[in-house]
Amino acid sequence: MSSDAVKKRKPKVIRNEAGTPETKRGRAEGEQDVLVYNEEVELEGRDPQQDYMLYKDTCAALAKLMAEIQELKSGGAKVGSVEMEERRRQCSVHFITLKKLNRLAHMRLKKGRDQTHEAKQRVDVLHLQLQNLLYEVMHLQKEISKCLEFKSQHEEIELVSEEEFFQEAPAEISRPHVTRDDHHQLTLARLDWELEQRKRLAEQYKMSLARKEKIHKAIEQKREYLSSLQPGLQNIMQASLPVQECLSMPFEQMQKQAEVARHLPPPLYVLLVQAAAYGQACGKTHIFTLNKTLSASISGDVDEAKALSRPPEDSQDDESDSDAEEEQQNTKRRRASVGVQLDDKRKEMLRRHPLSLCVDLKCKDGSVLHLFFYYLMNLNILTVKTKVSTTTDLSGAVSAGELLNSESLLNCLYASDHGQETPNPTNRYQFDKVGITTFADYVSDLGHPYVWVQKLGGLQFSSDGAQVALSASHMERTMKLLQGRLQARLALHKQFSSLEHSIIPISGECQHLFPAKVVSGLTRWTMMSYQEFTELGFVQHVLKAGLLRETDLFFMAVVERGTARLLAAVVVNPRYPEVMPLFSLSLHWKGERSGRTEDNLRAMESEVNMFRAELQGPRPGLQLLTNQIQRLCVCLDVYLETESQVCDGSEGPKEFPREKMCLRTARGPSRLKPFKYNHPQGFFSHR
Amino acid sequence: MGPVELLHMSVFSQSFSPCGRFLAAGNNYGEIAVFSLSAALSPDASQASQKPILNFTAHDGPVFSLLSTDTHLLSAGNGEISAWSWAELIKKSTKAAWTRKPSYETSLEIPEINAMIINPKDNSLIVGGGDNNIHIMDMETGIFKSVLKGHTDYIHCLCFKEREEEILSGGEDGAVRIWDSRTNRPVHCIEVFKYEECARPQFGKWISCLATDSDWMLCGGGPSLSLWHLRSMSPTSVFPLPGCQREAVFYQDLIMSVGEGPHVSHCLHGGTVKAQIPCTPSSLNTLALNLKNTEHRVMTVGGSSHQIDVFTNFSYRAFSLSF
Repeated sequence: MSSDAVKKRKPKVIRNEAGTPETKRGRAEGEQDVLVYNEEVELEGRDPQQDYMLYKDTCAALAKLMAEIQELKSGGAKVGSVEMEERRRQCSVHFITLKKLNRLAHMRLKKGRDQTHEAKQRVDVLHLQLQNLLYEVMHLQKEISKCLEFKSQHEEIELVSEEEFFQEAPAEISRPHVTRDDHHQLTLARLDWELEQRKRLAEQYKMSLARKEKIHKAIEQKREYLSSLQPGLQNIMQASLPVQECLSMPFEQMQKQAEVARHLPPPLYVLLVQAAAYGQACGKTHIFTLNKTLSASISGDVDEAKALSRPPEDSQDDESDSDAEEEQQNTKRRRASVGVQLDDKRKEMLRRHPLSLCVDLKCKDGSVLHLFFYYLMNLNILTVKTKVSTTTDLSGAVSAGELLNSESLLNCLYASDHGQETPNPTNRYQFDKVGITTFADYVSDLGHPYVWVQKLGGLQFSSDGAQVALSASHMERTMKLLQGRLQARLALHKQFSSLEHSIIPISGECQHLFPAKVVSGLTRWTMMSYQEFTELGFVQHVLKAGLLRETDLFFMAVVERGTARLLAAVVVNPRYPEVMPLFSLSLHWKGERSGRTEDNLRAMESEVNMFRAELQGPRPGLQLLTNQIQRLCVCLDVYLETESQVCDGSEGPKEFPREKMCLRTARGPSRLKPFKYNHPQGFFSHR
Repeated sequence: MGPVELLHMSVFSQSFSPCGRFLAAGNNYGEIAVFSLSAALSPDASQASQKPILNFTAHDGPVFSLLSTDTHLLSAGNGEISAWSWAELIKKSTKAAWTRKPSYETSLEIPEINAMIINPKDNSLIVGGGDNNIHIMDMETGIFKSVLKGHTDYIHCLCFKEREEEILSGGEDGAVRIWDSRTNRPVHCIEVFKYEECARPQFGKWISCLATDSDWMLCGGGPSLSLWHLRSMSPTSVFPLPGCQREAVFYQDLIMSVGEGPHVSHCLHGGTVKAQIPCTPSSLNTLALNLKNTEHRVMTVGGSSHQIDVFTNFSYRAFSLSF
């Protein structure tokens, strides 16, 4: 149990550390066989468990000794007695043992720590190595993947397919014996081939370019040559004009017209084309006659028309500039009044296209109807103005004033087409914006916007766009109607001049409608206005039946015989002779009677108003009105002559002796007179 | 039918169907139009129900007379009589059942037939017209069995007195002749224009309307409309109506007559004019009362217009049917 200080010979170096091991430094440090007291070496030989037991034992001994000392002290022994000293010495020895043990324990601890530390160090080194290696591995992997991803530029080049390559490429490039096996070589070979092909093609391209340049130059030269021919051709054209006129093939004129026609607005163009086509189709029978029934020409300012079709960018710039100017000016002076502005806007809205179309329609008797067609640009409608020129001088018929009036000549060409309002429904909205209430105010200036005019220009306002088919289908009908209208009006004009002289012109073909002797005669034929007419008492039934319109023409005829005076109010529809004139009668003889009060006068009215087939005479039925008037006179004769019969006769001599042959003077419940004339027997009977 | 034709149309005759629900009217163009009264009088009547359900041309000349038997409608055209079955007409079939002509002497002008009446006793049809004679036709056989001659001018109107079985006829010659239908002999002849109270020489002497009610007779035309007592053969009252009357009827205690002038005159037996109801046509030719049907008890008048006025209450015009 005592300290076994084993002296060991330690040839090696002494460990000197910060710890507490006591080492005796030998006198000769460098000497090999110095005696050192190395507790560490000693430590390795001791067993910790034994040391622990020793420690416990020592503590117990110490405790026992202490207890003995205590006993001794308490037993009254003197301090410093031998027993106590002995025990004290033993305690000190034990203390030293304890101290050694403590030292050993500390040394063990330190050793353990050192060992751990070393092991840790070793582990750290290894760990570091591991990490280094891992990093390197990762790096290498990245490099590998980068290498793998590398796209060589050569892959972007489109190469011909392998089969093609092997077929086309010459052997020294394709080297099939090598390339078939080796992919890399194959690719290289293909690239080579590609390069060679491209070089070849580049050569070809350069050559083609050069050729093209040469050809261009050649073309230019030829063009110059051609343009030098132009003046020569012009001269030839000029020289040929007289020849053209001689042969009546006005090519030049037609060309010029076509040139101008290009600037016409679409509806007028359609109208021109259709009119020209119709004129050609129906006009000439012989190529040498120039008498076309229909000819069309363009008049107006071509330059203005060209100006209209210029692109609007310039005008927009102008506008913005002028706006800026205007604003500046407004601060300085007053703006023009609202009325003037509105007026300008109206004028702008109602603007006509500078080009207009003039169509001349010839009738068989040589009179010509001139139609001037205008296009209103903002309103998109066509209007027409007319003029009549006749071969004979038309004068002397006062009542005929309205017949050829250009304002009303074309009224109601088709039923209820008055031409007073614009047929385009969108115009209503445009008018509202500028304060125009009716178009009728401007009609005399701008022309009449009849519906048939719109149709001739291909404008139909239930669908959009100018349609040629519409124009074509209407052209023939409208032209025929126009001709018919002109002829009817001219015929009426002539008839009126006779009627005003109290002569009823009856042609030879219509003589059979009337007996040889007609005593009643027309004494007056005057025109009336709509106002005057509607104020007459005996026409109210016509007004109520809706057979009167403001566009109709109204006349008053007075037929007289003896003391009897028959007033006939006549309504002539503008579409005469398609529509029969309507007569209303009032008789002044022994009182006043009218068709309303007396059945016989009503029968006379129906005799005159209803039998169109008999009264219209030979085609085209232009004798209708005069025949009606003559029939009226005949009926009055019959009436007056038979009337005197019916009375009792107690009044004295009859004013009108019976000259007409009648079988019966009264028939039926209303006792009507015989107004129907039978030819050739010459007697009157009832219908 | 254009507006001008309508303007010049005159309605000359009317007749109600046996059931009383339809009205047939004839005009001067020879057309017959059938109107449905039940449609026109129903509460939801519209403009369309005042138009005819059937309109066809029956004859060449004007249809001056229409007459309904129990089954047929008889119409008189230019010298011919046609019969149409009412049942067929209602079904809109326009095929005539038969057409017969009395024998006429003159051939230059075909005489019109102005009046037709039925003698219920021996089922015969009596017609009078432009040839100054009265023809009697047996309805069953269709043979014209007798001719009554006596008038010197054409016959305007006919009337039949059931009790005495006498035929009365009025003509353009101004005479009202009374015939015995059994013997076909003339019994009396009254020349109305010779009586001062009735005569109106400024108009003329013709008699255009006749009506009888037991012992009473109405006649008028050129002379004023007058009420005669037949036993005494004298006029008892004269009606101061301005125009010439063309048709007059007895209705309950009133006398209704139409003629020149746009009104229906209501008169009392005493000779006073009680009322003059205005109508659309400017002069009237025919007046008809629908007494067969109590539901549609109306009076209709037609004349110088294409419209036929309908009176539901006889004091004012309710509406007009239109051709």
